[in-house]
Parts: sequence; structure tokens; C-alpha cells
Amino acid sequence: MAAEPRPTPADDPAAPPDPSGARSRAMTLEARGLRATYGPMVALEDLSLTARAGEVLGLLGPNGAGKTTAIRVLTTLVRPSAGTFAVAGIPHTRPAEIRRRVGVLPESAGYPETQTATEFLRYFARLYGRSRAAAAAAAEDLLAEVGLAGRASSPIAHFSRGMRQRLGIARALIGEPAVVFLDEPTLGLDPAGQAQVLRMVERIARERAVTVVLSTHLLAEVEDVCSRVAILNRGRVVADGTVAEVTRRAAAPRRGRFRVPSDLRRRALAVLARADGMDDAKPAEGRPDWITVTLDEVPAIATAPRVRIDGAARALAEAGIPVLAFELDGARLSDAFLAMTAER
Amino acid sequence: MATVAAPSRSTAARDTGVVAGQELRDLWLAGRGLPLMVAFSLLLSVITYLGATNRSLNFLERRETVNLTVQVAVAVGALLAMVVAGDAISGERERGTLESLLLAPVSRRGLAAGKLLAALSLWLAALVVAGPYLWFLARGVGAFTDAMGAAAIAGTLVAVTFTALGIVISSLARSNRLSLSVSLFTLLALYTPTQLPAGAKQGWAAELLLRVNPVTAAEHYIGKVVINQHGWTQDAAWLLSPLVGAVALTFAAVVVAPRFMSLRGSALG
Repeated sequence: MAAEPRPTPADDPAAPPDPSGARSRAMTLEARGLRATYGPMVALEDLSLTARAGEVLGLLGPNGAGKTTAIRVLTTLVRPSAGTFAVAGIPHTRPAEIRRRVGVLPESAGYPETQTATEFLRYFARLYGRSRAAAAAAAEDLLAEVGLAGRASSPIAHFSRGMRQRLGIARALIGEPAVVFLDEPTLGLDPAGQAQVLRMVERIARERAVTVVLSTHLLAEVEDVCSRVAILNRGRVVADGTVAEVTRRAAAPRRGRFRVPSDLRRRALAVLARADGMDDAKPAEGRPDWITVTLDEVPAIATAPRVRIDGAARALAEAGIPVLAFELDGARLSDAFLAMTAER
Repeated sequence: MATVAAPSRSTAARDTGVVAGQELRDLWLAGRGLPLMVAFSLLLSVITYLGATNRSLNFLERRETVNLTVQVAVAVGALLAMVVAGDAISGERERGTLESLLLAPVSRRGLAAGKLLAALSLWLAALVVAGPYLWFLARGVGAFTDAMGAAAIAGTLVAVTFTALGIVISSLARSNRLSLSVSLFTLLALYTPTQLPAGAKQGWAAELLLRVNPVTAAEHYIGKVVINQHGWTQDAAWLLSPLVGAVALTFAAVVVAPRFMSLRGSALG
């Protein structure tokens, strides 16, 4: 059975405005309650997610979180033991049709070493039902798109890891998919190679209006390119939303710094040490005007850190100590990731 | 969003053609096909030279020498095709290329059938390569047509049997090494009875075993045609088990095994 569309922010009149327009685009990926097992081991549990055309959805999680299994389920390679999903409106009960609408770069994709890049893409274009002429044209276009036009006739054996990844992305696009799954596309690449692949991912989503599901455990790249993220831990989605939403929800900042006039620093230290919600206050190393404060460990409430910092600033003001500057650590996706995937 | 019709039988045939075409290119233009045929040709050269010049072998009737060469050509040709088939799926699995193929909208039957056809091309090449050697040995005794005909009929059935078996095992095996080991063991086990002395092949039970084993049955048929100059149909009953083996294993390779074709391999290992 097809997964019925569930209410989304687009249906919610109270949802914040969406300047990118992504929410008005077609829903291309919907999964609800997916479960997958390998023998007795549960690899995915109650996975639900959605994505729209033109979105880059980051699938985050530590090693073994279930990212690759999720991709294999959504691309019909692994049959779910429970749950439903639909790709481009095609229910999971029609896997052959889904395979025509998805493109995949597997995590440890191998390549036929003796084939040339053109031959490789042409072969897959033929498998997607194209004529010889159309397959050759598609191969040529895609090699140009991923910056490999100059190596079209080179055997893949001579390709670097980065070139192979770009070739793999080209192969994923050969069937003009509605959803592209990229499983760790930057793994093993140098920073320049990573940046090149990420720019390509962004461009593909934007220009082709396809949904890109980017599985990774490198967070910087997600913050750069993903419009939304889903964090997986032990087979479950523990957070999803925009990068900002996920960060706000989970990454409770625990440290901050106040800059005060140097002649008032000793007094400020005493005020901050007594302020509510402060665990510790001490001079910042190597920065004579600054005081580092550590917030109390309290149950994670999204607004708690801000409230506590506001309280500290108010206490300083009431003591007649001007706050010249303020910095807050930890409001990053990596903090959210660590908070949500920590061993419990 | 537009939906795409489920693959039809003609789509599966088209898939088979596309896969076979690429596999043939990989095998013959950039792969093992040519080196294997060169090695096969060298082997037949040695056998032909020995058959024509060696005193011990000269005690054999010329037709027996031709028969020996046909038997070697069939055995080695089938072995080569089986080795390529044994690597066909498990090799892709091990090299990390199977996932992309399984994700492509190609029917798994088409995939298996295309690989089967490409592997069988090695047998066809072996048959062609054996031709000049058989002509050289058979000249003067008029056995060339008998030898080529028997090799084409019985040898093709044996080659199809083993190639299809290789595809089946390769689809199920978790590693390439396991696939090749099981395939080779099966082939050797079925060839073992051919080395038994003639006395051990007497009696109804022995004959039944010889008839049931596609290898010994094909060997018997070839011997009757080449050495005893029987007609093509006179011993056709001996082709029953090679025929059944070829049909059953091709069905298993193209229809049954693809259902178990997965990233990890299913039953073996």
C-alpha cells in the first residue's frame, strides 16, 4: 500500500514562512514507521521521514546508526519488515518502478576498472532503457556536468578517489531520478575534493530540482549544503528538521564568555559565581577582560541556556558592571549531534 | 508523478541483450577471454603434437586420438566457461559493483541470463579453436565432421550445464572464492568417473550412473560417434542427462537463483 501523505509544515498555517519555497514543492520521499532487521539485529526502528523536490536532506548518524540500511530500504535493496514508504509517489510495493526513479551512490561503490568512464555511463544508460545514441549523449552530458569530460576515454582504473565519486554521482543521475541517495560521498576525499563534491550536490539539487539524501557523519558538510537533517542513532530518528531547528532543539550550550572592564573583573567574577544557573565562573585564559562561565547541568530545555545567560547578564548590570561583549559556545550542529547520539 | 510500467518479457529480453553485450566486451576486449583462449590453444597444440608424434599415443587408433582431443576440448572449454560464470555474480559482489547493478532498473533474470550468455561465449570460442586441431588429427580417417558434430552437440550441453551451475552458485555464494571452489569441486566430482577403468563401468548399476552423470553420458556419446562411427541419433538416449542438466540448471540460473541474488549472498557461506 502507498504511504498516505501525512500532515507537513506546508499544511500547517502556523508554520513559519519558507523563503526557499521548498515546502511548496512536490513531496518526493515519504517513509513511515520503517523497520529493518538483519537476523536478530534490528538495524532500523520506526524510521519516518519526508523530503521534497529540490531539498538536500542530510542523514546523519554515527557509524552503525542505520544510515546505509535506511538508504538500502528506501532504494528497495532491503525489504522492510514493517512500515511503508513511497518515492515520487510510487509505493514500496512496486520496487521495480521505484528503482527507475532513484539514483544511488552506494557507500563502497566499486567500479569496473577496465571500462572507460564513457563506457561505464553508457552501459547504465542502456540499462535504464535508452537507445545507443541517447545513452552516448547522456554519458557525454553527465561527464561534462561532473567535470570529467576530459577523462571520458580513460579507464576507470586510472581515476582518483574523487574522480570515482564524481563518476558515481554521474551514474546516479543517469536515469534522471526524482531522488538521489548519496551514501558518504566525501568519504576518503581531501578537503578540496570534499568541497568539490558538496558544491556539486548543491548544484544538482538546485538545477535539477531533485531530492538529494546525503548520508554522512561529517557534520560540517551538512551545515554547508543540507536544507534539512535527520539524525539517526541506533536505527531510530532522534531529531529532524532544518539545521537551525535541530541545533536549537538539542544543542544546549554549556559555556559562554563575558567581556567586562578589566578593573571590574574581580567583582564580576564574584557576581557571576552567585548568579542563578551558573556552575562556574573563572578568568578566561590569555584574555584579560574576559570571564568564562559554565552553565549548570539541567534537563535539556531548548530555552534554558539563553534564560540562564540572560539572568547572568542581568545580575552583572544590576551590580553596575557593563557587559562589553558576550560569546556563547556550543550552538552548532556538531553539539546537537553529540548530544543526541551519545551513549546512554 | 508519472509511474513506469512493470518490466515485460520483452524488457527482460532487452536487459539480457544489454548485459550480455557489455559482458562480452568486458570479457573479450579487456578481460580474460583472449588470454584463456591462448592458453587453451597451447594445451590443444601440445595434445595434438603428442597425438601425432608420440609413440605411446600412436598405439591409439587415430579416431581414438581424435576422441581424446574432443574430450579434452569439451572438458577444458566447459571448465573455462564455468570459471567465468562462477565469478559472474559473486565477483561483482566482492568488487562492490553488484549494488549498482541491483539498483538499476534491470531485471535480475536479464542480469543472470546476460552473464550466462557471455560466459558461454568462451565455450563457443573453445569449439572454434578446437576445429583446426581436430581437422589436423582427423585428416585421413574422415572423423572431422563426427568430431566437430559430437563436440558441438554433447559438448554444448555439458558447457551449458556447468556454466549455468556456475551462475547458480555465484548468485548464492557470499564470496568469490567459495563460488569458484564449489563450482570446481562439482565439475571435478562429475568428471571423476571418466577416469575409472573400463571394468568398473560394467553392470546395470554402473551404466545407470554413467547415464545419469551428464559428463560421463556426454563422453560416452562422443566416443560412440567418433570412435565407433555411430550415427548422430543412434546413441541419442545418452544425451538425455546432459539435456536435462542443461535445461534444469539454465532454469535454475535464470529463473530461480535471481530471486536469491542479493548484496550479501544467500545460501552459501
